[in-house]
This record gives sequence, C-alpha cells and structure tokens, in this order.
Amino acid sequence: MRLAGAELVESRLILPGQWLQTYAAPWLTAGGVRAGQFVHVRTPDYSGLVLRRPFSINTVDRAAGRMTIHFRITGKGTEWLARARPGEVIDMLGPLGRPFEVDPRTRHVLLVAGGLGMAGVRALADEALEAGRQVTLLFGARGAAEVYPSSLLPPEVEYVVSTDDGSLGHVGRVTDLLPGYEAWADQAFACGPWPMLSAAAGLATGRDARLGVARLGRRGGPRNAAARGTAAARRRAWLQVSLEQNMGCAVGACLGCVVFGVDGPQRVCREGPVFAADEIVWEGSPA
Amino acid sequence: MKPRRRVVPDRTRAAEPYPTPRRRAALGAGPRSRVQVTRPPDGSTNSTAPPRPPAVPADAVDLTIDLAPDRPGGLRLRNPILVASGTFGYGIEYGDVVDVQGLGAICCKGTTLKARVGNLPPRVTETPAGMLNSIGLQNPGVDAVIEKYAALWATWQVPVIVNVAGESIEDYVGVVRRLDGVPGVAGIELNISCPNVGKGGLQFAVDREAAGAVTAAVRRATDLPLMVKLSPNVADVRAIAQAIEAAGADAISAINTLSGMAIDRDRRRPLLGNTYGGLSGPAIKPVALRVVYEVAQVVRIPVVAIGGVAALEDVLDFLFAGASAVQVGTAIFADPGLPLRLVDELAAWCGAQGLASHREVIGAALPVGARKGARGQDRPSVKGVEYRP
Repeated sequence: MRLAGAELVESRLILPGQWLQTYAAPWLTAGGVRAGQFVHVRTPDYSGLVLRRPFSINTVDRAAGRMTIHFRITGKGTEWLARARPGEVIDMLGPLGRPFEVDPRTRHVLLVAGGLGMAGVRALADEALEAGRQVTLLFGARGAAEVYPSSLLPPEVEYVVSTDDGSLGHVGRVTDLLPGYEAWADQAFACGPWPMLSAAAGLATGRDARLGVARLGRRGGPRNAAARGTAAARRRAWLQVSLEQNMGCAVGACLGCVVFGVDGPQRVCREGPVFAADEIVWEGSPA
Repeated sequence: MKPRRRVVPDRTRAAEPYPTPRRRAALGAGPRSRVQVTRPPDGSTNSTAPPRPPAVPADAVDLTIDLAPDRPGGLRLRNPILVASGTFGYGIEYGDVVDVQGLGAICCKGTTLKARVGNLPPRVTETPAGMLNSIGLQNPGVDAVIEKYAALWATWQVPVIVNVAGESIEDYVGVVRRLDGVPGVAGIELNISCPNVGKGGLQFAVDREAAGAVTAAVRRATDLPLMVKLSPNVADVRAIAQAIEAAGADAISAINTLSGMAIDRDRRRPLLGNTYGGLSGPAIKPVALRVVYEVAQVVRIPVVAIGGVAALEDVLDFLFAGASAVQVGTAIFADPGLPLRLVDELAAWCGAQGLASHREVIGAALPVGARKGARGQDRPSVKGVEYRP
C-alpha cells in the first residue's frame, strides 16, 4: 500500500456516463498489484467531499507503468473525476484489498460481470490469459446501450452478452447463462450488483451435487483444510465474488465497509473485496 | 475593431498558474498624487497592532501538552495533534503510509467488555462536507484488544489512549479494570454517548447524573489518565462537563458525532443499515467550536477538541476557543498524512508568531476573565456566555 500521485494520461467516455481513465502510476504497477485489488482515489476537499472513492483496478500495463479505472458517474466525486484533464495528478492510495485467487490447476476461467461489475473482473481476464488459461466472460446489462464494447477486451476472450430487455445477446439475467458454463468452468469469478452475486452464489452451492463431483477423503474435509477466508481456501472455491460497499478509510481502520460473513463481520477493504462465495451470508441485502 | 486575440496560458504546467494581476498604482500612493499620506516613521501601517515578537525556529517551539496535569505521571504528549477514535483503528492499519510515532497520541477504536459485531451495512455515507457513520461499536472485546495490540503499543513512543464504551456502569468499570496496569495503555477515553441499558436506553452523555456517575465509577477503578468524550446532542453541555470534572476526569474531549440520517432515494428508505448515524467532518466544526468554547469556560481540566479538523486553521480556531489539543478524525480518510503535517505546520506557525509554545494561545478567544490561568485561580466566570438555543 502506497500513497502517491497518478498522472491522468487519457480519459475516454466508453458508454453513456461511463468513463475509462488511464493513469501513469509506475509506483503502483511496479509493485505486486493483482486482479481484484483497488485504489482509493482522493476527491478535492474544497467541494465539500470528505471521502475518497474506491475503484477497482481495471487493467494494468506493467511495461508502460500504467493502469486504468472504469467508473460510472453516480455523484459529485465521480463527476469531478470525469472532468479531470490529462496531465492532472490525482492522489491515490493503493493497491488495496485482496486479489482473486486462481487455482494453479485451473484451465477454464469463467468471469461473470453485471454492468459496472466489469471493472471488477476485467483485470483477471488479462491475468488468466497471460497464464495460458481459457477465459469466457458472461456480461449482463440492462440494454444494448450499456453493453461493454468488445473492442476493449482481449480478442482471446469468449464474450457472451445478455441484456434484461433483449436488445442485444441473450434475453434475461446474466446468471441465467451461468448453468450452461458451470461444467466447463474450473473456477468462476463474479462482480456486479448484490442480487446478481447472490443468485450466482446460490447456483454455485448446488454445483457439486448437480455435476456429481465426488468428495473423497475424510468426512468433514481433509485434516489440513485451509481455514475459511485464507488465500488457500479461496483458491479451492469454485466461485469468488468481488463485493462493493460504501467505504471510509479503505485500510481496515474504520469498519465502515463491513458485510456480514459466515464467520462474522468482514471488511470489504481488507478481507475483501474478493471473497469466496461461501464466506458471505447472502440472505438479506447489505444495501 | 478586431478583437484582440486572447492568449490562454496552459495553467496545468505553468510554474505559477495564477500570477497576481498587475494593477495600477492605487490613488494616493503614486508620486503624482496630490494627497499627502502620512505614515508612522517606522513604516508600519497599523499602529494599534502589538509589536510582533521575533520569530522562533520551528524546531525550538515546545508543542508538548499534558492532558492530565493533576495526575501523578500525567499524560504528556509530544504535540497536541491526536487521531480520533474510530478513524485510526488500533494504530497499525495506516502503518504503511503514516509514521504513527510522530502523532501526539492515538485514540483507538471504541472497546467494549464483550466482542460486538456492529450494525448492519451500509454503515457509512458521505454527506455535504461530512460523513455519517453507524459502525455500532464493532470490536473484538477488551481482552482480545489487550492480547492483540497492547504488547505492540508498549513498544511505541506514541501514547495510545483506549476508547472505552459500555451499556452500563458495570460494563465501563469492567473494561477499565482490565486495562488498568496493562503496559501500552497510556490512558482512557470514555465514550459516554452510549445508551444506558439500566436507564431505559437514555445516553449517559445526555444526563448530568449518569455522566457524573459513570465517570466517578471509572475514576475509582483506575489510576490511568481519564478523558471523557462529550456528546453534542444535549441541551446544555456545560452542566455535563462540570459534572464530569467534579467526578474526577483528567480531561474532556469534545465532541462526539452529531446524530443524523440519510435517505436512499432510489429505494425510498433510510440509507444506513442502522437508520441513524453520527455526523462528522467539516460540517460539524462550528458546533464543535461552540461546545469547546462553552466547556473551556466552565472547567479547569484540559479540553481536547474534535470535530472537522482538516487544516491548520481549524487547529488554531480550536486552540483559541480553549482547547489544549485537537483530534483529527474524518479528514484522515481523505488525507492520512494530515495529522503529521499539522504538527509541522503548527510548529511553523508558532515559530512565525514568535511563540515559544502553542500553549500561549490556548483560550485566546475566550472572554477576558474566563481564560485558564495558573492553577489555583478562581473559578472562571460564565457571565455573559449564557446558553441561548
């Protein structure tokens, strides 16, 4: 974790109200930044904004020392950020949070993104391809106008789109596509609104039974089973989710971004934002 | 006439993006003026301003402050900039980006007797010039806090003041008894803005008797320096401050958050999981100033100001209003380096003003006669500062 300035290199409106910004931040990319982590961006205090804004690290270009963030204008902070001009230096704290954990044996990676959830899983597409894995990306949006442009994705990614109104791709929820890929995928990684993640988690719990995956060995799991929440345990989970929550400090001090997990309150900024789906209590809505 | 072409400078790269515009010489200042302006021979323009003492080097300024002067050993801080409870965790979370040893003191997250899971999310939201939080005192319980952090705190030179919360006087006493004598615990800050279960959920902080009783009970339970945190959500904060002082507190910190709420317009219901939250940030600074100003006139123990400190100007305002030290809270989230910068800026300011210590200006804005002087002085008058709601 470091606190430094990142120079805005390019700012593009990629979808209505959605921006893709490229920052030169060699201090960030040189470190071990990984897919799933985020940066906490400072907003100008003269406008009465007192909190930083967390953004998933969207893509990382280590050679050029650049990274991108993808966001939608939802309030004053993002509005201000969208108006930033190339050359401006933005104060960032990062990289923060824990990354997606991909099992070394995983060949087929399934990414599930709902709307702006693309920002959460986008970096993992690059990382998985780099590691020689096959990537399928299921993307859900309300309508064709909000579908993430395929030109911004690596060509090796199989990109499957669903829209709520059927204006592009499959009709319905992105989670409706999930059962078709559950046998193919060795691991799945999802980011999006809570109901979508909750539905995905529901599907993931029944997967082993449906596919007839045998549980071998000791009853109650192996003796050296990794404790829930550790990187090793997450690596074994079929579904990992990247959660979103209002955030204060983003370093674990204020306990403002907590969601409730099976083992009690979990800080999205510190234990997350990536969790194994079985770590989270999905009943009820956090928001 | 052809309009003159406007040259727009590239302000993002210029060394001086907004240079002072050239102005014509003011009337009466130029050599051609007929009006003779008389100036004092020493060149000063305002003869009523006191002569400024010579500047003091910033590193020679004495920023130390004792928050428990009556207590044997006291609670001596290297500087008057503390970090407020709940915004700095247990002092380790910001370790990568902040050198915590340079702080005056750390007030750790509120600690209760038993572990608490806290309120339902969402727990924080931004509001104009502030934020609302309803964490719900999530913490692992006093025993776990001591086990996990006290040994580390004991190696630090920065004092750690443990913030204590409870639902009954027995709770508070239980926590404080466990903290008493633990190496690494430099003092206690009592969060009395908690519902008193024994009194039908009424907050300790809103009731003079309850505030005094809990302070007195804790005072009997420990010899650690004891600071009590006032709530602004009361009718007359001075009576409560006096009760707390009479019950034996070494210092008073003010203020806790203001009660507030936010609405989620999309869902048409309260935004916070707990409905109500505490408002903090620059939005509450005027309220905090008023409370500090009032309390500083009726108590002789040090007052530690909290509420919207985001710049040196805020620190100075609180010092002038009678605070001996300030706690930085919400501003840390945006700018983790702020508290340490404030220490340097305060030293530089004192130096430039020719002050040997910031203590010389504590209470400078208080009415004459209400300023805290040497100990043993008569009780300060409260005449003329009656509370007008």
